[in-house]
Amino acid sequence: MKRNGLRALGLMSCAIVLVSLVGFAVDLYDIVATEQVPEISKAAGLNLIDDYISTYTAEELTDLAANGATPGIQLAADRALFRLNDGLLSLVGLDQDTLYAMAAAGNQDAADAWVFNARANYKRPELAEEAIAASQVETIEVALGMLLGGFYGPGSPLGVKPKDELLRLVVVGESLGLRIAAATALTTYWIQEGNLSISQVEAAIRANSGVNPELALAHQGLLTYLYSQ
Amino acid sequence: MRKTLILVGLLALYSLAALGQGYDAMPEDALIFPIGVEGTVYEDMELGVRGGTLNVSNIEDPRGWNNHTAHETSTTWFTNRMHRGLLNLDHISGAVVIDFAKGYEISDDGLVITFHMREGIKWSDGVDITADDVLFTYNDLILNEDVDCNSRDGQILPDGTFPVCEKVDDYTVTFTLSTIYRPILNSLSFNLMPKHVLAQYVHKLNPDVPAGTFNETWTLDTPLEELVGNGPYIVTDYQPNVSVTMERNPYYYGYDPAGTQLPYYDKIQTTIVANQDVSMLKFRNGEIDVYGLRPEDIPILLPNAGAKDYSVMITDLATYGTTWIMPNQDIGIPDGTNEEKRALYRNVEFRQAIAHLLDKDTMVQNVLNGLGTAQWGPLSVPSPFYAGRDVYGGPITENNAVWFEYDPALAASKLDALGVVDQDGDGWRDLPSGAPLTIEMNTNDNTIRIAYCLIMQDDFRAVGLNCNFQVIDFNTLVGQLFGSTGDIIMLGLTGGDEPNSGKNVYSSCGTLHAYRFSACEDPDEIDLRIDELLDLGANTFDLDAAFGYYTEYQQLLANQLGYIYLCQPTFQYTYYNKVGNAFMASPISTPAGNNGLLTELCFDKTL
Repeated sequence: MKRNGLRALGLMSCAIVLVSLVGFAVDLYDIVATEQVPEISKAAGLNLIDDYISTYTAEELTDLAANGATPGIQLAADRALFRLNDGLLSLVGLDQDTLYAMAAAGNQDAADAWVFNARANYKRPELAEEAIAASQVETIEVALGMLLGGFYGPGSPLGVKPKDELLRLVVVGESLGLRIAAATALTTYWIQEGNLSISQVEAAIRANSGVNPELALAHQGLLTYLYSQ
Repeated sequence: MRKTLILVGLLALYSLAALGQGYDAMPEDALIFPIGVEGTVYEDMELGVRGGTLNVSNIEDPRGWNNHTAHETSTTWFTNRMHRGLLNLDHISGAVVIDFAKGYEISDDGLVITFHMREGIKWSDGVDITADDVLFTYNDLILNEDVDCNSRDGQILPDGTFPVCEKVDDYTVTFTLSTIYRPILNSLSFNLMPKHVLAQYVHKLNPDVPAGTFNETWTLDTPLEELVGNGPYIVTDYQPNVSVTMERNPYYYGYDPAGTQLPYYDKIQTTIVANQDVSMLKFRNGEIDVYGLRPEDIPILLPNAGAKDYSVMITDLATYGTTWIMPNQDIGIPDGTNEEKRALYRNVEFRQAIAHLLDKDTMVQNVLNGLGTAQWGPLSVPSPFYAGRDVYGGPITENNAVWFEYDPALAASKLDALGVVDQDGDGWRDLPSGAPLTIEMNTNDNTIRIAYCLIMQDDFRAVGLNCNFQVIDFNTLVGQLFGSTGDIIMLGLTGGDEPNSGKNVYSSCGTLHAYRFSACEDPDEIDLRIDELLDLGANTFDLDAAFGYYTEYQQLLANQLGYIYLCQPTFQYTYYNKVGNAFMASPISTPAGNNGLLTELCFDKTL
């Protein structure tokens, strides 16, 4: 029954689904199917990956990832497929040149794997900042930004930035990588602080989506976490 | 299909029979870990509940299951969880404590150690553990030349003899020494093996089997039902290149103060992985519960810690080992040169000036990326004898530390006072005679050591010391070290808990007394006192007294500045918060560490 309902949700873009079966505090299936703001839809979708894995075939996931009705459905299916295929483990064994070429062609997972394999070269935040400044490939820059966000966020032994600075950087940072880094670190701060509600975060995303995309992305990270609780 | 089910059922029964049914009640002689007990090093820990599976990873497959012939950690990782000895390291403090022995006493002359074993304790197959098992393990395995045993060398006393192990009664054994030697206690923590299972494979006891048979016993081909141990876990499943499953030993004798038998986890599921990167990704995916992270993993793992409910421990606890620079105080002796430089290097005021030029904070920040700590003495910080503690095994206070703070101005004034000043106006300090002073600093091709040396070179030059740093081949460097032909050498040493293990380095005739080999023939007062303290520490079984001797020893060496210590990486670890007591991970033991100590005290908080 559930399986059929989820198929209906994904394949037919049906808005009415069997939400009561999954027990989430918020109706993630409804959100992922109807929410127009991409970051909110994606936050819901990222919480449905396990269900997608158990519900859909690889073929169906491939179709959903390409043709799903909302960004959240597409992302959930895409991440489910990635996990079914062993995730980053399937990529980190490839040589760096191959990964770089894949990243340059727009494959964000390949870029993540490339940075993962090269991370020992970026043991200090300045080194990651320099690499971001020199990067010619957007996906690599994004992956480096996420790595740099690990330095900027709370608990890091090097490079921690105060939240105020991150809030500025996430909007006016001179490069995509720096803004992604700030977004990553802000999400970490907010999760740690735990004082923002789902409705507050959804409102913040609605205010920033399409305007300050990395700030909206930071809130998306927090919302993903809040939806999972 | 039906046959298959019956077969599976029979195998399951066989497995249960091999493991035995466990105790009806807590044995009177159980070993109680003082979990949560105030005033102990266990006081911050939580009492756990039994159940669940701890998921971990290991690089490389084990090569067998035989604890006493294993030479690799990929094997001892498992055997250290299957076997325990009379003594052990305390799981938290690292001090030598009783384990399968419920107590021991030392004769007045210090030559006879009598161990009283726990009674009523059984091997994992339900057979009683007795003194015969201790004698079998020691006399027939460890001291048996026919057995390729890795722990025999550790049993040798200073006079070249071995302790003599004898049975007093079924639960009492003695070890008689030819000379008082406290470090033997570490060696007497050897893991016990079951005589009733293994004696048949020992040629000495069973001439029907060829010599060397024991070395081929408990291999990967051995049916796992044949494995018997007294430790917290027993291997019950092995899939080559994939996984090893360990299940609780129903007859393990460890309990918590609430009377719950340890270990808490029912199973340890170990996934065999190709490398640490795979472990890291499996941790991030939630497939394994704990992971010994590396510095480069931290920025990747930190951002998701809150969302995924894991902790990234970034501590200031130094790991084992030392790094140092060493002005060669015998420079020029081999070829009859450098007399004045040698005299300078032998002057402790000069070495103090060097010590004040070591910017350890910058080394920690720039080289170890903040994940390190300055060192001042010869002993590894985790050792219970580390003089940064106030008492043996106590918390680290650094009250006894000997620091030479980074102070270039003070270093310069010391050099001035020694007459090491620029006499010819070329901008570099000269020897007191006016001859040029050029310092050659060498290390091997190691990125961390090179980075340290570059920092030191800058600071040396900043005060006018003409220092030339060069990377040289490791074997050449070692040749310089042992041949007293180097100038200032930067290297490191591994470390352990027992100060006496450093005797080869710090005694005046030690084979690694490289900063002044000539001390063997021409020791000064401090050299002689260091030699004396090493012996005093080894020749008493009073740990507090030994700690006193070793504290003075460490302070003397720190002031002597033979090896001048730099920095050491600190300990990092990460674990899912559902693993109870994992927060106690330290350089001494971790939930998935090789010695297996902390594992049995961890539990699944979701149960």
